[in-house]
Parts: sequence; C-alpha cells; structure tokens
Amino acid sequence: MSLNDKLKDLRASGIDDAKRAERIQELNDLRVNLLGKKGPITKALRGMKDVPVEERPEIGTLANNVKKDIQAAIEEKMEELNRKLVAKKLEEETIDVTLPAQPRKYGTRHILNQTIEDIEEFFIGLGYRVDAGHEVEEDHYNFERLNIPQNHPARDMQDTFYLTDQLLMRTQTSAQEGRDMESHDFSKGPLKVISPGVVYRRDDDDATHSHQFHQIEGLVVDKNVSMADLKGTLEALCRHVFGADREIRFRPSYFPFTEPSVEVDVSCFNCGGEGCRICKYTGWIEVLGAGLSHPNVLEMSGIDSTVYSGIAFGLGPERFAMLKYGVNDIRDFYLNDVRFLEQFKGVN
Amino acid sequence: MKISVNWLKEYIPVTHTVEEMANKISLTGIESSPVHNAEGLDKLVVGHITSIAPHPDSDHLNITTVDVGEDSDIQIVCGAPNVANDQYVIVALHGAHLPEGKRIKKGKIRGQESNGMICGLDEIGVPTKYVPEAYHNGIYVFPEVVAPGTDALTALGLDDDMVDMDITPNRADTLGMRGAAWEIGATYDEKPEYTAPSIDESKIIDSNDLTVDIENKELVPDFLVRTLKDVTVGESPLWMQRRLWNQNIQPVNNVIDAANYVMIEFGQPIQAYDLDKLEEKHITVRNAKSGEKFSTELNNQDDEENTNTILNKNDLVVAAGDQILGLAGVAGGISARVTNETKNVVLESAVYDGAAVRKAAQRHDLRGDASNRFEKGVDNGAVSDALVRATQLVDENAQASEISDELVGIATEAKPTVIKGKISHINHLMGLDLSAEEIMNIFDRLGFTAELDNDDVTVTIPTRRWDMSIEADLVEEVIRIYGYENLKGTLPTGMETAGGYSPKREFSNKLRNILLGQGMNEVTNFSLMNKKEAEDFNVINTNYTKLLHPMTEDHEYLRTSLIPGLVNNVAYNQARNNNDISVFEQARIFDRADGVDRPKEIEYIAGAISGNIALDSWNTQSKQVDFYDVKGIVEELLSFTNIDANFEYHATNKISNLHPGQTAEIIADGQSIGFIGKLHPDYQKEHSIDETFVFELNVDTLFGMEKRNVQAKTAPKYPSISRDLAILVNKDIESGAIVKDIFDNGGKYLIDVNIFDVYQGVNIKANHKSLGYHLVFQNPEDTLTDDTVEKAFDVVKDSLVQKFNVEIR
Ligand SMILES: [Zn+2]
Repeated sequence: MSLNDKLKDLRASGIDDAKRAERIQELNDLRVNLLGKKGPITKALRGMKDVPVEERPEIGTLANNVKKDIQAAIEEKMEELNRKLVAKKLEEETIDVTLPAQPRKYGTRHILNQTIEDIEEFFIGLGYRVDAGHEVEEDHYNFERLNIPQNHPARDMQDTFYLTDQLLMRTQTSAQEGRDMESHDFSKGPLKVISPGVVYRRDDDDATHSHQFHQIEGLVVDKNVSMADLKGTLEALCRHVFGADREIRFRPSYFPFTEPSVEVDVSCFNCGGEGCRICKYTGWIEVLGAGLSHPNVLEMSGIDSTVYSGIAFGLGPERFAMLKYGVNDIRDFYLNDVRFLEQFKGVN
Repeated sequence: MKISVNWLKEYIPVTHTVEEMANKISLTGIESSPVHNAEGLDKLVVGHITSIAPHPDSDHLNITTVDVGEDSDIQIVCGAPNVANDQYVIVALHGAHLPEGKRIKKGKIRGQESNGMICGLDEIGVPTKYVPEAYHNGIYVFPEVVAPGTDALTALGLDDDMVDMDITPNRADTLGMRGAAWEIGATYDEKPEYTAPSIDESKIIDSNDLTVDIENKELVPDFLVRTLKDVTVGESPLWMQRRLWNQNIQPVNNVIDAANYVMIEFGQPIQAYDLDKLEEKHITVRNAKSGEKFSTELNNQDDEENTNTILNKNDLVVAAGDQILGLAGVAGGISARVTNETKNVVLESAVYDGAAVRKAAQRHDLRGDASNRFEKGVDNGAVSDALVRATQLVDENAQASEISDELVGIATEAKPTVIKGKISHINHLMGLDLSAEEIMNIFDRLGFTAELDNDDVTVTIPTRRWDMSIEADLVEEVIRIYGYENLKGTLPTGMETAGGYSPKREFSNKLRNILLGQGMNEVTNFSLMNKKEAEDFNVINTNYTKLLHPMTEDHEYLRTSLIPGLVNNVAYNQARNNNDISVFEQARIFDRADGVDRPKEIEYIAGAISGNIALDSWNTQSKQVDFYDVKGIVEELLSFTNIDANFEYHATNKISNLHPGQTAEIIADGQSIGFIGKLHPDYQKEHSIDETFVFELNVDTLFGMEKRNVQAKTAPKYPSISRDLAILVNKDIESGAIVKDIFDNGGKYLIDVNIFDVYQGVNIKANHKSLGYHLVFQNPEDTLTDDTVEKAFDVVKDSLVQKFNVEIR
C-alpha cells in the first residue's frame, strides 16, 4: 500500500472513530493515539524516506490535511458531546419553582399610621409643618383658647378625661392651634401647620367609638386666606386620598372655634355619586369639619383678626381608613391581630 | 325639630317636595332629612257611629253601625270600652293597611258581621305616649264633627310631610316654627308672614291677684305672667292636638296644650299653673333650699318610687312660698298642675340662663323640650308676644272671663344687635367678589336691615337671631345663602413655606423603618391602662398619672412603658394561633416627676418577639427567637441612630417581670437608654404566652445624643492580617469585658474582633469556658508586617492573662 493510500485510510478510520465516540475521554484518547508522536500518522511518515523526493511535498501536505481533518472531526464531536453534557446537567439542576420561597419579610406599618403619613406627606408637599403637640393638655388650650369657655355646651359633646381640674387628656388636636399661633413669627411668612396625633374622649368603646383615636388638625394663618382657599385645599386633599375624580361640598355647621364653620362631604368613591350603601344613598360621604378661624381664637393668640385670617380643618384617620378600606369596627385598629394588620401591606 | 309642611304653609309658600327642601336646607343652613308619615297605611276614614247595641254573645263587645260617607252605613263589631253612639271615630275599612303589615278584612265576630275596625291612635301608628290619656285604652274619638268618609290620616294630620332639621347648638332660633320659617324662607327667597297674636281687649282687667319677685336676677332676665279667670278646661281642638302629637307631645288639656303649642310656634317655653293651687299668691324665682323636694311629671311616669327630686341650693326654682311650682326652665311641678278642674290659670313666659338650666337638667336627669330651648337660648324679643299668644289660645279654647295685664317680674330690653362690617373684608374672607348689592340682597332675604356707606355696611339683626354678633357671622350668612356650591376652590398663596417633619419625628420615622425592615409589624395600643399594667413595667420608676374619672378600671392610668401593650398583643395573637409574633410600637410614655401634676410625654420605641423567627419548611428548620436575635435587631437599630457613642449591654436582674439571667440594660455615654430581656417565665405564664423577648428604647434620649460627624475615608488598599486567639477563662467573666480589653491593648492597627466560639462543658475545666476570637489588623496606609502584628498580639495576650487570669490555648 502506498503511503498516500495509507494516510487516506488513516483519515477515514480516524474520522469514523471520532464520530463514533460517546465520551469525551474517548476523543481525548483518539487525539493522543492518532495524532500524538507515537501515533500511526507519525509512524507512517517515517516511510517518507522511501518516497521519491519530488513526491514528498505532496505527501507532506496530505499528511497535514489528514491531521487537520481528524482534529476537526474530534473537535466537532467534542463540542457535540459537551453540549449534551451541559444539557444533561441543566436538566438535572431543574427545580420546582412553585415551591414556597424562603421568607424575607418587611414589616407592615399600622394602617392608621399609613393613613396619617399619607396625609402628612400630602400637606408637607404644600409647605405645611408637622407639629404633633401634647397628649396631656391644659384646659386652657384644649377649650378656652378655642372659644369654648367653661359651661359652653360644646364641652358636653366632648366628654373629657381630666387629670386635675386644669389638666386633661386632649379631646382634639385643635388644642395645638393656640400654641402654634402664639409661637409663630409672622414676619417669617404664614403659619401653615398640621397637627396629627392621639386624642381621648370619655366614651364607651364599641364598633364606632373608641376612647382613644386619632385626629389631624390643619391650620393656615396669613393675611390673605379665605373660604375659597379652604375649599381648594380640602378638594386637593380628598382627591389625593379618595381619587382624582372626587368632588367635595361644604355644608354649614357649627364649631366654636371657626366662623363660618362647615362640614365637608366628598362624593362617594364607591358609587361615584349614584347612591349606594356606603354613602347611605346620598352620593356624598361626610369626611371632615372645617372653617375660618374664629376672630376670638386669633385675637386670643395676639393676632389681629382685621388683618389676618385663618383656615382650619380637622379630620379623623380612623374614619378615613374605615371608609377607604371598608373597616366596620373601629376596635380592629387597636386589637392588632397580625392577620388584620398585614392585609394593609403596601397600600400607601 | 320636625317642620310640618302644612304648618309651614301658614307662613311661606311651599312648592317643593320634602326631599328637595331637606337637601337645599342642608346645603344652606341646617342638616335636614325628609320625613313621610303614615307610609303604607290606607283605607282609613272618619266614621260616625249611628247606632250601638251590645253583642248578643259577648259581655264586652258592641255592634255598631257606622256612617263612613258611603251610601249605606256599615256594621262593625267593636270591643273598645269607650265606644258610644254619635262618636266620630277612625275606621279601618275592609282591605285597610295598618302599621307592621296588619290588614283589616271583613268577617264575623262571634257570629256577627263586622266590616272593618274602629281604631285607636296607637293602632294607626301614634306611639302610645303621645296619645291623649283618655284614649289610652280604647278607640280615639274626634273632639269635633268631621265629615264621615274623610281620610282619617289627613284629619289627624298623620300624613303630614315634614322636614326634620337637626340643628347645631347655635341655631336654636329654628326650634320654633316661626324661626324655622324665616330660615327656610331665606333659603327660597320668600319672606314669611305672620299674624300678630292678640287678646280680646274687652276681657283685660288691670288688677292682678298675684305678686312676683325675682330673687336671682342674674339668671332670670325675663319673667312675665298673666292670669286667666273662669276657664273651662277640656280637650283641645283637633287642629292643635294633631300638631302636638306630630311634635311628639302628648295632648293633655286646652291649657297645657296651648302652652306647648306656643313653645313649638315661637320656640318660647310657656309654663301654666293652677292659680288656686298656689299656697301663696306670691311667686318667687329663687334658689332652692338644700334638701327641698320637688315632684314633676317628667320624672314620675316610669318610676313610681322616684317621684321626688331632691334639690340643692344651685337649683333655681319657681315657688309660691315653700311650695315648689317648678324647676325653672326645666320642668313644671305637679303641685300646681292644671287639671280639668282648674278654673283660674297662671301663664308664665320667662327666660332663664342657659348654663344654669343645662346644669340643672343634667344634675337631675330631666332634659326636655323646655330645657333644650333655654340651654341654647331663646329670643328675648318674643317673650311677651309668646305670652300673648298663649293667653289668646287658652282664651279661645277655654273661654276666660277675665284676663290680667302682663305682670312683669323682670324684663330686659330686647335690643337688636348691630354689626358693622366691610363689603371688601367680607368678600376677602369668602374669597369672592360679590357686589354690595348682592350682599345687601342676602341681608334682606334674611330679614336683616342693612345700611351701606361706601364699603362700610351696618347690619341690624333682629333679636330672633341671637347667634349673630360679629362680622364673621355676616360672612357665614352671606356665603351660605350665596351657596357654597358656587365657591370655586383655590389654594392659599403668599410667602413660600418649607414644610416638613420636625427633626425628632424624622428620627423616629427612621427608627420605625429599621424595625419594619427587620420584618416587625407595627401596632397601635392604648395609652390608658389598668393599675396592674402600669405597675408591671414601671422601669423608669416614675409616679403614676391617673385619670380623675375613668370610664373603666382597664383604662385608668397613663402608660409608663409600651411593654404591657405589646404583651397584650402577643397574648391576643397567640390565643388565636398566630404564634410567631414580631411587633413593635413607637409612641409616648408618661413620666411624672415628684410634686408636679403634668407628666412629661416621652417618645419610646419598643418591640416584642415570640415564637419562631425561622419557620419549619421544606428546606429549612425552624428556629426559636433568642436573646441574641433581639440584640441583633436592637444593635442594627442603634447603629442607624448615628450616635457617636458606644452602646454597652449591662446584665441586670433589677427589672421585675424580666428574666434575671437574660436581661441587659443598654448604656450609652453613661446613661441608660433602654433594655432588652426575656419576659420572666411567671409573667409569660400569667399572660398565657410563649417565650417572649422584649426591648424598649427611649427615643427622646437617643435623639438628644451627639451624632457622628461622618468624614469619608477611602476604602483600605492594603491587605489585612488576622490572628485567632483561643482562651480559657472563668465562666463569670463577660465576653464584653474581654473584647474591650483586646481593643484597649491591640494597638492602632487592630480594627475588628469577632467571637467565633463559646464552649462550656465536657473537656473544659470546671467553672470555666473556652472562647475563640478572631482579630483583624490593618494599616490603611501601608502593608502590615507579621512582626508588627505579632507584637501587638502578644500585648493583647499578656494583658488578658494578667487581668482575667486566662489560659491561652
Ligand atoms: Zn355611594
């Protein structure tokens, strides 16, 4: 057999062997056995001395091509086997993604605090300070400074927990109005403040009453604030809390520390004003009380009521949360059942 | 007060439904709702009994024939004891609907045909307490002739449509029909018209049997009386009775009814007395003597034994000598009550101090229609007119022979209030730009007289609107009549203000977020707790603050710690199988110093963790919370305070209700800032909760502490070198002390010390423990040499041997 034919045979069998290999090790062995220094190609080329000189370059080229072809066949097969190997490994590593996660819990803010903070941030955006005030307050600030003197019938509406005859658990966050007004430096601009916090009433706890609950009082005093500003401010608030399509309406009311006083209704967010159970078929829901600061309240803080005016409003986070999330029993807020608390994850 | 549309029509035209009116009045002035009476009732007519005969088979039934306005009379069997011939009565015809779904059908009663039912008022929906006494146990008999076949509901006024006005305390001017007509009239731009009350001049005599003396003039600005002689007391005319029961007032007789009627008409309570029952013909209004007794209808109806109210010297009474005629402005007594036998009558129209009436009514639990009006105020310009009106009505219905002149005990001139304002300022406060004409027109609609002088307006307010006193009141009147719905919302303009939280609130928000990040749920508890809870965790050792008049023992003391509330939360949840609980609260506690009444309010943050912090699952094992888990949370929280101090954990057994061996007080800069600990097993048992760890930190103290001033350092470029140190030491020596000593002696390149092993037990010397520490050295500016580290390490070891007698292993 000529050297030429021998090399061609080696190529044919080498490629064939590579194609038939099933494991990477076989290919590695094939490479060493066929192409190595002790391999048959090298061995065959030792017969080159018997080849006429003029034919030698041709044989040399052929030998190189044979090596290259076998190499290519091995590599091709190697790649194929590797692909299979990876595919098998991936298959083996496949997991059930529906199995439960390893919990990484973030706690849930109490829904009342979420509600309060949402409203606080709304007003901060409008340039209001947040001033929490005192839970134990003087009769003077809780009542007298709000135009509610001793014996005023409004004191009946707010049964009060007294600590002494002059000290009490505040019944309203409006109690902070007097303190905010008297300490404000009007040369530095208007007074714009909200006072969120806990208030107390001498009430029996039931589904709609709690002896402790929250309020947010809002107050703006400046030379140029009006009922129209009150309406615009509360319109913006109600749209922020209850939805961009909400309308509000004012109804005349009475609070000793505002004149005029109004109750504020928001158009029903459930039925859009058509009438439903939530709005008692009126299309409107009462959400807060407000008004222009009574001149007496301004004057008692040393503010000239012929020059300055104030808008004041007070709202109840419990009521807001009850309306917005359909909470039917105010006591749920204070029982702190974690199943109740956690349902408000991320609502605000 | 419920405003009857039929009555209202006497004063103003009414063209709207009660629904429309209620809505409009609510938006303009007073919260109102529509009322439809007698809904669903039908086939009720007036009948005239034309014959009556006993039922042959019954000893209490009668067979009547009744003219019901049809071609022939119908036969009705009636069991009422008061049925009689020639009565005009209420007949429910065959097919009639009565309240509560009751239906009347013709049939036979003991063999006798009965084609309907003769009814009592209570059977057609009038509550028994408003039915005249005479008809409580029987049928109602019309006091006058009414055409048979007339709709009985109309004849009785029971189908009157009404608007129920729920007034705010400042609008008591509408607690009378005339005032209400003014209000509704202003809403619809209709001026009410009234007929002035008048007395038959020919009967007036100018002598008087009575004298009146007002002792306490401060509380009684007006007190007027008139007497009427030889009256015939009896039943009031139907038109008056029906207006009374529609106001939830029981008709009694034509004197008392007239007094009540005037109260509804004018808003002015009127009191009537039997002149002949006065023990002296001298009426005084005075303070009661302590212990004096007084009986009234208001409090003796339900409770026979409690017929006497014991008075005290704060009570103002109307008296004739020692005889108490009434508790002024609150209730008339029974001693001089007008009855059917009364011949001579005294009528009183007075004004009493609102606060005094309110307190007396509260004190004796006697709130009623009269006290309700006096407490909120009455129109002192109408006191005399109301008395004239009451006198007129008594005379018309009970025919007096003589009427006395008005006897004035005291009278205060009723002056209209004059309010000065500026059109521009009124507009300014409203945020509107109404013309002076528009504003003047609104004043006119309200019946105010106004004079304009350029921008200045002077408004004279009639006495019926005593709630009006200042310019702001004018603003309210103008804007509500103009209509709030016409007001366009704007936002306050003016100098920019920087809104925001207080720095302390920012700080506490940050702390709260750390705990949320640790997976803890936020709770909200009550500030008021019971005595035991207050005592359980008085860690700050403060004086308790107690309510003067608590509602319940459960909410009597102001909290001195947030822990009891959190323990309640754990207990509440674990009782409901929410076993793994991790909760916190950020709120105030109350710290009261010796000798002061007012407690300081201090912000605290506290947490409680109970049960597992990792759950058993398909790939994990559960882990119960332990001290070090909670300490980890607290440390992370404290590291976020940015406080420039080291936090030390000092073991303490001084906090009651915490485990004496698993509690640490946390100290920073020498001051206590809080604690971490496990609840005492006894305390856990008492509350039926699992092992629970708690912590509590004083936010105010943390907020006040100096903060780190962070100046950036580049991250180190040179490698660190570490050494491990294993020691054997007496078990009572705290790791904290050893770590501190290592830092004290490790030189400036020692940057970190971690404990990697704590072992006690087998193969360890008795009363000793083995501790392993990992020390890390680094020079930020250069590569450290082993030599340098070795030297520092030796100093550390030497010091530990000397100070703690450790054995280096
Ligand atoms: Zn609705």
